[in-house]
Amino acid sequence: MDLNWMMAVAILLPLIAGILVFIIRQYHIRGLIVILTAIALIINSIFLMLHGPDTYTPTSHYWGLAITILDYAMLLFYIYAGLSLKNWLVLIFALTQIIPLAYWEFGMGASKALEEIKPAFVFDHLSIVMVLVISIVGSLITIFALRYMYDHEHHKEIEKSRQSRFLFWLVMFLGAMNGLVMANNLLWLYFFWEVTTLCCFELIAHDLTKEAINNAARALWMNSIGGTAMILAMIYLFAKGGGTAELLTLESIIKAGGNQAMLLLPVALMCFTGFIKAAQFPFQTWLLGAMVAPTPVSALLHSSTMVKAGVYLVLRLAPAFAGSYLGIMVAICGAFTFFAASILAIAQTTGKRVLAYSTIANLGLIIACAGINSPLAIAAAILLIIFHAISKCLMFLCAGTIEHLVWSREIEDMEGLAEKFPVTTFITAIGILSMFLPPFGMLLGKWLALESVFAVPLAAILFVIASAATMVFWAKWLGRLLQVLPRLGRKFESLSLSYSVPLWLLVLGIFVVGIGVAPVYQRFVSFAVNNVVAATEAFAAGWNIVVPSASVAAGGTGALIGSFPVWPLYIVFGVAIVLPLIFVTIKPGELRPVYLCGEQVGGVDTDEWITTADQKAKLQLGGFYWQGATGEGAVNPWFYTVSIALLIILFAVVVGVSL
Amino acid sequence: MNQWWIAIIAIIVAPIIGGFLAGIDRKITARLQGRYGPPIVQPFYDFFKLLGKSRIATSRMQFVWIYGYLVFMITCVVFLVLKLDLLLLIFLLGFAGISFVLGGFSSKSPYSHFGANRELMQILSYEPVLLLMALGVYAQNGSFMISEIMKPGAAPLLPSLWPIFIAVLLVLTIKLRKSPFDLSTSHHGHQELVKGIMTEFSGPYYALINLTEWYEIVLVLGIVALFWANPLWVGIIIALAAFVLELIIDNIAARMTVGWMVKFTWAVGLVLCVLNIAYLYLIKGGA
Repeated sequence: MDLNWMMAVAILLPLIAGILVFIIRQYHIRGLIVILTAIALIINSIFLMLHGPDTYTPTSHYWGLAITILDYAMLLFYIYAGLSLKNWLVLIFALTQIIPLAYWEFGMGASKALEEIKPAFVFDHLSIVMVLVISIVGSLITIFALRYMYDHEHHKEIEKSRQSRFLFWLVMFLGAMNGLVMANNLLWLYFFWEVTTLCCFELIAHDLTKEAINNAARALWMNSIGGTAMILAMIYLFAKGGGTAELLTLESIIKAGGNQAMLLLPVALMCFTGFIKAAQFPFQTWLLGAMVAPTPVSALLHSSTMVKAGVYLVLRLAPAFAGSYLGIMVAICGAFTFFAASILAIAQTTGKRVLAYSTIANLGLIIACAGINSPLAIAAAILLIIFHAISKCLMFLCAGTIEHLVWSREIEDMEGLAEKFPVTTFITAIGILSMFLPPFGMLLGKWLALESVFAVPLAAILFVIASAATMVFWAKWLGRLLQVLPRLGRKFESLSLSYSVPLWLLVLGIFVVGIGVAPVYQRFVSFAVNNVVAATEAFAAGWNIVVPSASVAAGGTGALIGSFPVWPLYIVFGVAIVLPLIFVTIKPGELRPVYLCGEQVGGVDTDEWITTADQKAKLQLGGFYWQGATGEGAVNPWFYTVSIALLIILFAVVVGVSL
Repeated sequence: MNQWWIAIIAIIVAPIIGGFLAGIDRKITARLQGRYGPPIVQPFYDFFKLLGKSRIATSRMQFVWIYGYLVFMITCVVFLVLKLDLLLLIFLLGFAGISFVLGGFSSKSPYSHFGANRELMQILSYEPVLLLMALGVYAQNGSFMISEIMKPGAAPLLPSLWPIFIAVLLVLTIKLRKSPFDLSTSHHGHQELVKGIMTEFSGPYYALINLTEWYEIVLVLGIVALFWANPLWVGIIIALAAFVLELIIDNIAARMTVGWMVKFTWAVGLVLCVLNIAYLYLIKGGA
């Protein structure tokens, strides 16, 4: 396919489809458009992968003009939003963006130089990995959203349907993300960055409750701080480039960055922008607040878009801080978020908040890997991006499905889900196990990260504690789902196709990409790693992942640093869990009541017992959350203090080096 | 082919050694308590008797997870004898532990839930120490492979990793479910938590749990032995001495609370590991 068309489909098609679904208010036609767009995006992303790295600059100058106009339109809208919501933080941070931007473009005359930047888009293998993740995982979410939003509005008995509007923002989001990961011109990167912020704001506010609007405003002002930092970085680069656009592309920063200490400050500012988008401490609250939105939004924000833009930018800039103290500070900041969010997740009673903290934690892990910046760490980071997108997307879609089955997001209300909805529970269990246990991809990524982390020992210590906390909060949640009474004869529930197709496809994805991780790495991810850091090692041997030592990589013989036999471990998983799941059966006569000190009332499957004064009482069990030790009230003051201090140290180090 | 035979032999021999160790455990414990104690082979008698009992269930999934517990524990032992990746072995041990926890959560039983939640806290206590042990080995050897630890001519780990070794002894107490950390379940009767996480398991599946525990004893003692892998007999003597030490501690210590366990293992175990790794990092310059 022609490159023009591929770019158009990746970036503009979602926008056009979004406008179409906004206009056409008929459920089935709208659904068809979304499904066709999803298919087109997926096929297009595969074509793009086959096409390979390239550069692209639109021939018409009007695109540059359109982007400039839309930039100001968005910022004016933020000002309007700030004024109408009476949210001064939104207003202030909209002004801190628009005033420097206008002064820079017109006062300092940068707009002329910006229009001449070539190439406007550069996509290498890292971009292609991101486009695939966005197009495939993101598209599945839009399909899931079709039925979900229908049920959502029915349950809430909303009279005037706002589904069209919702789908408009949701579908358009994918186009903005595709543009973001391919943009080379910093102003265009900034534009797509702002579009994702805007989509995020609109989607969080969708339900128009007071809480939704407040949380949307918080997401907006926090990300506007990031936007401000990016504008400052651009102005600094413009000034350092002697009033030319020479340094205003990602390519040139990456090329020059490693050698020029003065470029560390703008790189640090842009990493800071990425931190905010990736909801790193102390900016985690916007992503937690985003939970009020309908679940497809959370799924999209957490798996393939928005937060992944943050980690993408840090990863993209990794060559520019290689070997500097900035890199070490990025690693420590990321590792601290991984640690803090994992600890906080233990105390959460709401399913979606557990997922949110887990996302924040994993993003911290990815950012830490980017900071460590060795070939092994970068390989870990990119694999984690891929596997996290699949697994976390599945988890959110499961959370959404469960929410529409039990109409609650509380983990305690999911008690005994295995009894009522065995199919959903099965898929959720796969999702949970794939988040933290071997042989699944997330664990593979974490294992690679741990094998590389000794370069920054402080991060290593945070990693291992976080890793242990991760096991606790996932197992605890899964445990609540599994609790059943001794009873046989469960019926499988039937789910709408709009739910079940994305769910099963993601389960399939976990296993296919998981088992095939070594070939996928060798043929595909290794090139993306090479785009970030020159890797001489091959981390895959046949179907297995291996970590060779430096002497082996140099062509000599020597010992391995580590090895991960992939398919043998999937066979172990099959023998340990899948086969028993299929073949273990129990007969009704084998069932017994649980041990209640002989105080049971009635038959086998009863959970009533005789309590004090011979009263009958229903047995009630609850989960442990240890909120006194790991709750937000107990630990947040510490976590905020440390994370703010870390950011201050980060900038102090950078300014110290730059001066 | 050779590797397959090693794996098969280990799968057969490990539970026999584990069973005998369990028998020795009961004998020594009895002597320490002034009793005569059962014969050394008593655990095997118990095992076969349990296998022959009829099966009773409170849920289907509890059986599934027990297979997960057993098979992943066996995989860990195979990883150890095939001298594969130590860090990955620890993650696999994590799957085994989590399977067991989920088995406990699978029925609506207050005692087994109690035990499962405590077992999770035990994992939270020992997992970071084990992971840091793997990092300590990396700091020393530049590799996570067990084959590098056991390579002929490799220097023993104990002289440079002795603080981590002490932390691993703490983990050993938790893994063997010995006082003061026999929190999720206990080998001694008359406890307020009944049999904790194992309350709802009986007959053949309880036998499988015993079998898994035998593999586990061999595994954790094997990990202890890695601290002096050249020559290996020194390491084995150290591991057996550690085992006897655990039995003595078990009999002279009272059970503590869960919160105390997490605080204690983190405050002592983690700090020892951190100091050890920091020292190695500084003298080796982060290589």
